[in-house]
Amino acid sequence: MDFYLQQLAIGLSVGMTYALIAIGFTLIFGVLNVVNFAHGEVYTIGAFAGLLVVTTFAPPLLAVLLAVLAVGAFVGVGLERLAFRPFRRFSDEASLKSRAMRESTLMSSLALSIIAREALEIAFGSRFQSVPVAAMINQPIALGPVTITNGDLIILGVAALMLIGLQYVLRHTQVGLSIRAVSNNPLGAKYVGVDVDRTIVWTFAVGSMLGAVAGVLVGFYYGAIFANMGFTPGVKAFVAMVMGGLSSIPGAVVCALLLGVCESLSTAFVSSVWSDMVAYGFLIVTLIFFPRGIFGGARERV
Amino acid sequence: MSAPILSISGLRVKMGAQEILHGLDLACGKGEIVAVLGANGAGKTTLMRTISGVYRAGAGAIRFEGEDIANARSHDIVRKGLLQAPEGRQIFSNMTVRENLVLGGGALRGAEMDRVLELFPQLRDRLSQIAGSLSGGEQQMLCIGRALMQRPRMLLLDEPSLGLAPKIVQLIFNLVTRIREQGVSILIVEQNARAALKVADHAAVMEGGRIGLSGRASELASDPRVVELYLGGHA
Repeated sequence: MDFYLQQLAIGLSVGMTYALIAIGFTLIFGVLNVVNFAHGEVYTIGAFAGLLVVTTFAPPLLAVLLAVLAVGAFVGVGLERLAFRPFRRFSDEASLKSRAMRESTLMSSLALSIIAREALEIAFGSRFQSVPVAAMINQPIALGPVTITNGDLIILGVAALMLIGLQYVLRHTQVGLSIRAVSNNPLGAKYVGVDVDRTIVWTFAVGSMLGAVAGVLVGFYYGAIFANMGFTPGVKAFVAMVMGGLSSIPGAVVCALLLGVCESLSTAFVSSVWSDMVAYGFLIVTLIFFPRGIFGGARERV
Repeated sequence: MSAPILSISGLRVKMGAQEILHGLDLACGKGEIVAVLGANGAGKTTLMRTISGVYRAGAGAIRFEGEDIANARSHDIVRKGLLQAPEGRQIFSNMTVRENLVLGGGALRGAEMDRVLELFPQLRDRLSQIAGSLSGGEQQMLCIGRALMQRPRMLLLDEPSLGLAPKIVQLIFNLVTRIREQGVSILIVEQNARAALKVADHAAVMEGGRIGLSGRASELASDPRVVELYLGGHA
């Protein structure tokens, strides 16, 4: 029983990191109907940025997180500028969400992700970079029969804070309302004077901030940072987005947590190498039985 | 006609290879209601979307308060005080009524909300309701109210009566008159020619991407050609 409780706690914190990544996918999908294939690299860059900050200045974790948030926003804006904007010659809804846009930006974001990954390998080498022990977040904490680490709590706490913050931004700020408006009805957004291009940039900035923070949290949790680290969590977050109905934030968060917990509990039955199969299994089941996502029935966006 | 707040000259608009507007001229005086009538496919909505910067103008000028706004970006046009309640309403159906209004309001929001709700008391009880669940008439009111949130100097209305019950149409047109009384100039595109001519000062008839007839609304309402084509034969 204790084992299950422990795996549940770990699964929740892993699921939270999937949720942070999945929200980036979801926000961008809502606004542009495209999948940003460079999102996993935003996560990796967040982790590397955190590592650089820690090895250079050794500041407290909060300062690292703030620096990574800034880097994430910057990377998101650059990504939009390089991989998405050049293809957006018209901004009416038909071309904004057209198939041609979807396919061309799919390729351009994939290309950019390969470039980013290779550049990181050239700069840092392909081996794991270890995080200084003092900066790692893996001090064990005994909670009754269960032993978790302070990292589990930090990840849960930071992710929960960011989710709450995101909800506040989306409901009570002009930027957030604009993101939801463009996601809901880009033509209508133009008629109320929303700057659609600028809103798209903001969407990338916000989504990438969440992704970059997920990267640094996971990097400091496991103590290993490497150029390819974004791939697997990127795929899992993508699965969570699909399960959640592509453009529903609550759907993506719930599915990400479900995925994290199931993966974590699956190690009770199979070797942990196989736990990656859980995500693919979920994806197949979702696509066969819930093609619009488990929460996608209502087609609510953002 | 008083000094025009909006004047369009030689406007040409292409969609792909096909030209929809072939050198259109139209003016709307300050504080006036101008109605544009015309059959389906005459180019009315194309005209409205081009004025608001959603479609690109190929040639010609669109002057709003003396400034050429042809091909300006739509959010800049909104900022100048030229707002539109577009065809199909284009409200944010999965956001609340309040959020729809606040989005329209930009920096003004709080101050304008009360003024707008005074015109549309039906919306007051529904502020936290999801906009997509409103009735058609309420959605149209929300659409107009959302535009009024920005204190427009001019309001464009594209088919405000489409799909609404006659009683609601009457209500909407009464509101149009009240909005004009607040000093807002109005350009209205309408299939319901009878209702539009009743409230308008001037009117123009669009045919095949140009203005065919134009003149005082009262004169057009008794023009035999208009009567036959748009008023069902008996004025």
